[in-house]
Amino acid sequence: MSIKNALTIWVGKFLVKVLHLLGRDAGNAPGLFLWEINKDCLKAFKVDCPIIAVTGTNGKTSVTNYLNHIFDSTGKKIITNKQGNNLDTGITSLLLNNCDMKGRVKADYLVLEVDESHVPVIFSKLKLETLVLLNFFRDQLDRNGEVETLILKVKKFLETYEGNVVLNADDPNVSRLGLANPKNKNIYYFSVERYAGATDQPYEVGEGKFCPRCGAELKYDYYQYSHVGKFRCPKCDFGNVKPYVTAKNVKLDVPSVEFEGEEYKISHNSIYYVYNLSAVYTAASLYKFDKSVLHETFEKFEVNNGRLEKFSVDGSELLVNLAKNPVGANMTLRVMNEHQGEKELLFVLNDNLADGHDVSWIWDINFSVFNNVSRVVTSGTRAYDIAIRIKCSGYDPENIVVRPDLDEAMEEFFSTKGDKYAIANYTAIQPTRAAIKRYKAKKEGGTDGQA
Amino acid sequence: MDKLKILHMYPAMLDLYGDSGNVEILSYRCKMRGIEVEVSKHDLGDKETDFTQYDIVYLGGGADFEQQLLADDLLALKDKVKEAYESGVYFLMICGGYQLMGQYYKDSNDKKIPGLGLFDYYTVASTNKRERCIGNIVVETELDGEKYKVIGFENHGGQTDNVTTPFGKVLAGNGNKFESSTEGYTEKNVTATYLHGPLLSKNPKLADHIISYCMERKTGEKYVPKEINDKLENDCRKQLFDRLLKN
Repeated sequence: MSIKNALTIWVGKFLVKVLHLLGRDAGNAPGLFLWEINKDCLKAFKVDCPIIAVTGTNGKTSVTNYLNHIFDSTGKKIITNKQGNNLDTGITSLLLNNCDMKGRVKADYLVLEVDESHVPVIFSKLKLETLVLLNFFRDQLDRNGEVETLILKVKKFLETYEGNVVLNADDPNVSRLGLANPKNKNIYYFSVERYAGATDQPYEVGEGKFCPRCGAELKYDYYQYSHVGKFRCPKCDFGNVKPYVTAKNVKLDVPSVEFEGEEYKISHNSIYYVYNLSAVYTAASLYKFDKSVLHETFEKFEVNNGRLEKFSVDGSELLVNLAKNPVGANMTLRVMNEHQGEKELLFVLNDNLADGHDVSWIWDINFSVFNNVSRVVTSGTRAYDIAIRIKCSGYDPENIVVRPDLDEAMEEFFSTKGDKYAIANYTAIQPTRAAIKRYKAKKEGGTDGQA
Repeated sequence: MDKLKILHMYPAMLDLYGDSGNVEILSYRCKMRGIEVEVSKHDLGDKETDFTQYDIVYLGGGADFEQQLLADDLLALKDKVKEAYESGVYFLMICGGYQLMGQYYKDSNDKKIPGLGLFDYYTVASTNKRERCIGNIVVETELDGEKYKVIGFENHGGQTDNVTTPFGKVLAGNGNKFESSTEGYTEKNVTATYLHGPLLSKNPKLADHIISYCMERKTGEKYVPKEINDKLENDCRKQLFDRLLKN
């Protein structure tokens, strides 16, 4: 171990100690500091176990949590960033908290969620065994730059990478990355067969309408959601790949899905969720798990944390989902519209730094498909923007209530009882969950005698 | 029933930052006044488009990559587009659409994309891709002799110069260039601007101004759009002015 690396670890460990003594949660700060003093600080860690990383615009946290649950339930020691600290500094802090004074990280596996733009910088310094790539959608454009820039960044990394790559064959933005390194034989595509809600025409805004290889317009047999579906380049045959895993017989009414001839019960009725599970199944296949572990996980495991999270509040049933971008929001609206009865929607929209200050992405959400939505409540720092968006889709403004303050929004939202759905963007999701819990505690822990 | 025809140019390629919302808003506000709207597309390679038969020609913003792809197609349309512009068709152009109608756009890879040359301005982007004008912006423009504050979000690397008649005065944000005093370009039948948001979402008077212009051009009579429920828009404007124009 070089002196520089030894010092890096010691300084980092010391900093964590001091922060703990001050009663602070170490969080990102030690990692941030280490990057300041040593750009190669990740090299100071000795990680001998396999690293599995999950990246993509939507579903990183869910897929990482599922994989973690699978590895964990077979008694493996896992180190993971469950809560999402997925930038270079967050991963550095994670390793710092889990290493000895010599920088040795002791685990059977590292299962990491990694921000798309940080994949190259992190894994130029840590040896990656498996990279899972879920999807690329437009997301926080003023923060992340255009989607294309992001894809090219990951592509450049993959050009010299020879480990396992698990790729969504149905997203042209992801599928194209299978061509990045022709020498890499460890490419594993997953695909999902056409499901009942697939459409012949695009139903929501998408990216990647043109062939990344020759520029011709891609032809689709069908769209599952957004630009994810069965596509092919009519000119150069891009898209003609043989999936390693194909999810078949998607039945959202059960809900269930079939992998390699076996039916799996699943816990949510969303096509987007089926894609996440397909990624999980494919990555897990590379590590030869017993099928019973997968059955148990797919049927029972819940990420919660604002990802398709269910709440019962004062006589209402509520489903809460994070949406950082149009595709995420459209997915929740699809789940909502599948439900035939009357329902209400809460949309919480913030424009803080981590959300991207630009909220124009809400105009790419398809609201014209509202099915039996009797009222909309909006909240957050941009509560009015989302209200205007919904109004201009043709929804009666008289049925929209704006309450920028979250607690006031909850009072309003739960003033009626019934089926409810809530969508919140990135910095809004945790405050929204907290406000729901506050309201629930106040109502149900109150004097009205309800448990 | 009255009818307005909107031509949405390259909707699949110039479709960043929810810009297509502008077409949705125009359609919504027309529908509320009993005006039917027909939206047509001009896509790459369409040879038959007759620009003069439309009331509004709309171009949104796009990424550098897409702007390059469509530059040749656009250039070949020069005479037809010019004829429509001169006949008084309303041109609404956002960001990339704004840039492409000028003399040229030199992108962040130092690649020069020739513009349609309808107007005299030209745009040069910094080759440092991080140098961009990004943030909320408020511009004061004039609609039928009345001052009107326009709110939006700018996100552009391009710095636009040689603008003879800007769309408005910058009250908060950057505008045509870093810390510029002016934003966009305007003529009686032209609104060209960097403002996303989308532009018309928080500026209903601007949307109605465009609708009125088109109705008057069509019928030859003064058109005053019927008041509609804009409480959400008005409350939103108030909230954002409080936040953005504090000083």
